[in-house]
Amino acid sequence: MAKVTGWIGNLLRVNLTTGNITVEDSMKYKDLVGGAGLGYKVIFDEVPQGTKAFDEANKVVIAVGPLTGTAAPCSGRTNITSLAPTNPYHAITDSHMGGNFGPWMKFAGYDAIIIEGAAKSPVWVRIEDDKVSIEDAGSLWGKGTVDTTKAINDIMGKEACIAAIGQAGEKQRNLASIVNSVNHSAGGHGGILGAKNLKAIGIIGKRAVHLADENAKEWLKLNEYMMSDIIGANNQHVVPNTPQPWAEYHNPGSRWTAQLGLFWGAANPPVETGECPPGDKNKVGLRTQKAIFDLGPVAEERTIKMAGCYSCPIRCQSNMYMPELEKYGLTPYATSTCINYSSPGTAMVKGYADGESKGMDAMITKCLGSRLADDYGIWSNYGQLPRDFRHMYNSGKLKEVLPKEEYDSINFDLLEKGDPGWMLEYYNNLIGDGEFSHLLDGPYWMAQRWSMGDEYWNEYSNNIWSKMAYPKHHSNEAGAQVGVLVNIMFNRDANSHTHMNFIGAGLPIGLLKEIAGEVWGSPDALDAPKDYTPMNEYKAKFAKWSIDRNFLHDSITLCNWVWPMVVSPSKSRNYRGDTALESKFFSLATGIETSEEELDYMAERICTLHRAATIKQMATIDMRNEHDTIPEWVFNVDPDMEPFTEGTVKLDRDDMQLALTMLYKEYGWDEKTGAPTRATYEKLGLKDVADELEGLNLLP
Amino acid sequence: MFEREIDNFINKVRTRREFLKVSGKSIAGVAVTTSVLNLIGCSKTTGDEDEPVDSVQAFVTPAGLLVAEANRCTGCQRCEMVCTVTNDEKIHPLISRVKIARNFNYGEEITDNYRHENGYFGNFLMTPETCHQCEDAKCAAACPKQAINQSETTKAWTVDDDLCIGCGACTQACPWNMPTIDSETNKSTKCILCGACADNCITGALRVIPWEKFEATVRRKGYLVS
Repeated sequence: MAKVTGWIGNLLRVNLTTGNITVEDSMKYKDLVGGAGLGYKVIFDEVPQGTKAFDEANKVVIAVGPLTGTAAPCSGRTNITSLAPTNPYHAITDSHMGGNFGPWMKFAGYDAIIIEGAAKSPVWVRIEDDKVSIEDAGSLWGKGTVDTTKAINDIMGKEACIAAIGQAGEKQRNLASIVNSVNHSAGGHGGILGAKNLKAIGIIGKRAVHLADENAKEWLKLNEYMMSDIIGANNQHVVPNTPQPWAEYHNPGSRWTAQLGLFWGAANPPVETGECPPGDKNKVGLRTQKAIFDLGPVAEERTIKMAGCYSCPIRCQSNMYMPELEKYGLTPYATSTCINYSSPGTAMVKGYADGESKGMDAMITKCLGSRLADDYGIWSNYGQLPRDFRHMYNSGKLKEVLPKEEYDSINFDLLEKGDPGWMLEYYNNLIGDGEFSHLLDGPYWMAQRWSMGDEYWNEYSNNIWSKMAYPKHHSNEAGAQVGVLVNIMFNRDANSHTHMNFIGAGLPIGLLKEIAGEVWGSPDALDAPKDYTPMNEYKAKFAKWSIDRNFLHDSITLCNWVWPMVVSPSKSRNYRGDTALESKFFSLATGIETSEEELDYMAERICTLHRAATIKQMATIDMRNEHDTIPEWVFNVDPDMEPFTEGTVKLDRDDMQLALTMLYKEYGWDEKTGAPTRATYEKLGLKDVADELEGLNLLP
Repeated sequence: MFEREIDNFINKVRTRREFLKVSGKSIAGVAVTTSVLNLIGCSKTTGDEDEPVDSVQAFVTPAGLLVAEANRCTGCQRCEMVCTVTNDEKIHPLISRVKIARNFNYGEEITDNYRHENGYFGNFLMTPETCHQCEDAKCAAACPKQAINQSETTKAWTVDDDLCIGCGACTQACPWNMPTIDSETNKSTKCILCGACADNCITGALRVIPWEKFEATVRRKGYLVS
């Protein structure tokens, strides 16, 4: 048998109840690619229906894919699958982190790590190649993620990668993250590790990731092609955001901020971003000066450099020199969280002392808040946490639900004055033991606890996506029905950027529509912004493709913030990208020649399995009415305007129900309920899944 | 002042290149000042022109002037990956001939003051380490099998896989521990100046300025180097 490449072939299972550590064959999950696909199958097969996220019976699957560690551009992501404590049904979700952890798993010899059971007292798991042990974490409990990491690096050596929970995870808060390498955080599963008394996992290994036989030259050619001709800037924006002599187009919304005279100003010596036209692969990493995009012009002189994940040439995080933080007891260094710096900023509900939304006070506040959030391991729920705080504070509800003594003990003066010091007060109370900390329950449980009414659920600016209780994430404002269909599919905020990156690439709408026609069959797949048309089958194809590629990227693993490459910055290609690039890298990594269509088919299988796991946990097949619900504001925003008139993102109820039907049809799911049929499961090689669901009376 | 700095730099480069031609050997390390950086087209600087810039290292190599700029390194580690894909048809930081992963978290060593020191857990800075292609190559001298010799074509100190026994004497002998033993092949991996790392650096933090280009640049500015 030829040597397996791409995958390692090993799955590590650590049972914290029994202390058993075993290694199994991971190749039985090969048809599910890896990452999320593998995670869904393990949870579907092994976690009993109705299990709650913090139950001992729940499991956490940390998994990577065949491209992890192969040096494919933007392949540094790690996928974590488990039940989600934020979800009303504790349905299945993924959390994702970049950094170094995923590739380090491959170097240690594992495609996946399953954590099961629960330890009686705090532990951490030490993995050095095939030497795996469960260690006492008594001295680590109570520490932030950074100090925890340092303490474990003292034991394992400075090159080991550590994924840890902070205080939020220890206290089993729903909005807790798992963090590696300072600021690479996976949201929503940190509390599960806390429930299992698992503080951290340290990993290092000596095993190389092999490419399929003699494919190195081909790999280098493909890499050269992608880096020179195809890749753009952050979010695959492919035009600069200022006019530049080499560029036919520019767009002020583009994250391609590099330009002459714009620097990483706190670098020594400063580094000019300059012009970074396509074809010059030695400047790709300079294209995105993210600090000024996130924090405004004030950030330029404080920018040490850009940063990002292992293997990624798109540096979407900024590293800052902020001596002002010393006043708050921190070091003068700060970096963005996984959703830039926005979450701490939103918690400043009365603005900033200097009156500027992108001034020095805002920058100090956001850098301070980001440091605390990542160290405490707090998940912002895609920025919903501070919006929930804003709603509670501004409506006066917070004063009602907090005990008077607790309310009076919190220094809201800082908030009222716009003082950055509010960040310490805010985050320290979030990880405290008071009523305030229930903001970390997430929208559904918080609303139950505090009896929130329709004014909370239906207010457009609150961003809540239906009673499934996650925030909207590129929905009706992003491609009309396409964005809505992407947002109904998951059990947390839709982390799918496939559609949004295409829409936001910066190219003129006429050109985007042309490309949409080539990829999804008709230019009608894409509407111009705020100029929407009724549903059509090409939008359903666009939505399905967007969702499937997201599942594919989380499984293979690639970063869906950059991939797929629908467009490129190359005028010589007429801005066409290459949607077959994933399959080309997959073929070279695994040695299994796989077409774009074959890989998309595997993605459809993963999506359908995710649907099955959701149906099993929710114990209903009526996905249309119980799961795929759409918030009121999609239909009643802009009360004076009709849907499908220029100037509004408003959509029509009946048209959206038709959109659901058309999406179900594209997937071969039951058009009434939105549940996959037995025929579809079997066609996708998921007969065992259909059998299990039939036993639970959960087939349409 | 500016001209003296550049003259000194060019004199050093010239001397070392001449030495290189005669002996076929290289010498590590040329102090780089702000004015020199500007001259060779690296990061634009506005600092004191005479002061050596700590974040930048330059090495005279047979292939050209190798420049490593820590201020430009974003820690993507793609230099290591491309190195090992090119030379080993597989990926691992340990066998890379350019080193960045080992300094990623805490710089050269982990200390209790780590939040202020080099590395991603401190001031975020990290330096891509490269083989110096030393004049007096300690790796070659230490090899019990004389497996490390200068290539006639590239002039780089190169491991002969047929002779290498994977003993690790080269790793120990190198002051910077640059050669490493691939545990899967039991052979020493050592930089052969293939240039893949610099060619693929996404920000130009690693660059090899070929001698023809270097000479053309300095000549254009009114200096002579031969």
